[in-house]
Amino acid sequence: MSEPAGSTAGTMTLWTLRQGRSGVVSHLTSELSEALATRLTDLGFRAGQRVHCIHQPGFGAPRVYRVNGSTYSLDNQLAEQVVLIDDSTS
Amino acid sequence: MTASNLLLIGAPNSGKSALFNKLTGLNHKVANYPGITVNVGSGAHAALPSWTLWDFPGAYSLTSVSAEEAIAIDSFHAALDGGETSLVAIVQDATRLDKGLTLSLQVAREAEQRGIPTVLLLNMMDVLESNNLSIDAQGLAQELGVPVLPVSARTGGGLQALSEFMTDSIQRHVIANRWENAPNIMLSGTAQQLAERFMPEGNLLVRRQTQLDNWFLGSVSGGLSFVVIMTLFFQAIFTWSAPLMDGVEALVIAVGESLVPALPQGMLADFVQDALFGGVGAFLVFVPQVFILTLIIGVLEDSGYLARAALICHRPLSYFGLTGKSFVPLLSGVACAIPAIYAARTMSSMQQRLMTYLAIPLMPCSARLPVYALLIAVLIPDDTALGGLIGWQGLALSMIYFFGISMALLVAAVVSRMQSREEREQPFILELPPYRSPIVKPIIRTSLNRAWHFITKAGAVIFGVTVVVWFLGYFPNGGSDLNGSWLAMLGRVIQPLFEPLGLDWRYGVAILASFLAREVFVGTLGTIFGIEAADEDVAPLADRITESGLTAASGVALMVFFTIALQCVSTVALLAREAKSSKFAVVMMGSYFLLAWIVALLCYWLIQFLL
Repeated sequence: MSEPAGSTAGTMTLWTLRQGRSGVVSHLTSELSEALATRLTDLGFRAGQRVHCIHQPGFGAPRVYRVNGSTYSLDNQLAEQVVLIDDSTS
Repeated sequence: MTASNLLLIGAPNSGKSALFNKLTGLNHKVANYPGITVNVGSGAHAALPSWTLWDFPGAYSLTSVSAEEAIAIDSFHAALDGGETSLVAIVQDATRLDKGLTLSLQVAREAEQRGIPTVLLLNMMDVLESNNLSIDAQGLAQELGVPVLPVSARTGGGLQALSEFMTDSIQRHVIANRWENAPNIMLSGTAQQLAERFMPEGNLLVRRQTQLDNWFLGSVSGGLSFVVIMTLFFQAIFTWSAPLMDGVEALVIAVGESLVPALPQGMLADFVQDALFGGVGAFLVFVPQVFILTLIIGVLEDSGYLARAALICHRPLSYFGLTGKSFVPLLSGVACAIPAIYAARTMSSMQQRLMTYLAIPLMPCSARLPVYALLIAVLIPDDTALGGLIGWQGLALSMIYFFGISMALLVAAVVSRMQSREEREQPFILELPPYRSPIVKPIIRTSLNRAWHFITKAGAVIFGVTVVVWFLGYFPNGGSDLNGSWLAMLGRVIQPLFEPLGLDWRYGVAILASFLAREVFVGTLGTIFGIEAADEDVAPLADRITESGLTAASGVALMVFFTIALQCVSTVALLAREAKSSKFAVVMMGSYFLLAWIVALLCYWLIQFLL
């Protein structure tokens, strides 16, 4: 579930996903506590899952993501720890 | 007839509490806001009284991420292990199968391990049906090895089948033992596969929600909607509740006027008139406001908007050590701290809840309004500017409200800076529930219950303090002269405390009495200055105070003191209970008193220096 990723700099994360775009989750970084990683996985932010960025409010506000039929708001602390597969086709 | 127990469990916002309400006819807080159930509710099944239903807090899985979740999950395990559970009903949102199916499988496993039958309730079937969507419930039941019943908490559809299952089919039910030894990782994968396979076709629900989110979260339309909705919210609290408040006031006066003359003149009549109808009656006036506030918050929660409002407010509030989830309690605090403290129950983190509790008493609650109205009438001329568009008194009121809100945020910011970075910067994750038209009946019932709770819980404390204040004001001269009463003596004892603010013993007495409820300040000053019914019309009292020579510096200091001091025994009592710490509430009251005094003194000095 979690992989040691060290830094997410330069990699595509949920936080870098633009509004209206979608991406497929690669893994969750080890920066996340086990409890938070489990929670994100339970909510659907798991490897292979496609996630859509629904809204990207300004000023660093939490962003809105849809995974399956549910909508969640995540701040940068969490969204930066969800690494996406780099496929620019989506 | 043997007693049976049904445990209800499900993901947050799966409609579990709504189902509990429908089945029991009881009022249990239900809202379209994840994590609303923070205590285990219980009640007898309305049609099957031998069955007791237990409503457990919503959980995304049986693996907890916070202390609060751990308590909820432990209590569920304890109920399973208790040996008295007849059936576990897992409530699953049929419109979002992926969410909660992992939990469903985990619960099925735990129940199987203990030999307890399980049923999966596919809730919100009415939403699917209204969109011409369906789910293969039978196929899902086969895969799960657990009976699946499509139900609707909103319409009551399918609940008869559940009753039949509870009374009849359960006798013949054989536990499949399919998940008995399955590890979490396997359950998670299976849940995902099953959700993909059985998820209703079509994306109508998603499309509709996206369109609404485009509007309510859009940078321009979202901000505009927020301002409009909050303006209506304030209008409802202050303007729409006014006729109801006037009605209660008229009722209290009418009952008082018909009862008091029937009593023999003397202490009893004085007590009934002044303490009972004067003190407790004044507090009853706020009951409609609590009712309307709860009603509107309920509608906003149930519609799904409140979670969006929390998201919109999260970033600005996070600068002050608060979270978007603090928004509703803080907003409620503008009407009254009591419902605001209740509203903070929706926050799962005790850390965040305590931070919100710190800010709530500083919000400009409506009980401060009569005090502000009096002092503004004393200090600010009733003139207008810009051709009557702006009134100076109204502007002063806005400024004092702004000052109160700023103090609330400032205190929260300072206290949060004392915490470690880990404590301060907790990650924000919030489910945005689908938009739905609110189910009004349970919201009205919740609002009535909350108003009744306000009367019984806060009323009891207020009555106790009223009696003490009345007693001190009445004796030793039988109420003939307040200036010679024990209360006045006490006022003179504490006079040195308020002297630096340029306030004499009369204000000390009024401040002491206002610990009962802030608005009592006006009535007490009215009594001291010999103005009757000052709490209904502050103008004659304001004139008398002006004549008595209250300086601008002292008036402003008094107003600032009232803005910060926590002079409300009901709030302190409720804070102690909700924070589970009397020390927290008492320290908070003492600290805010000290802070109020210091800031008031600084303002006093500043104005004296300027004038």
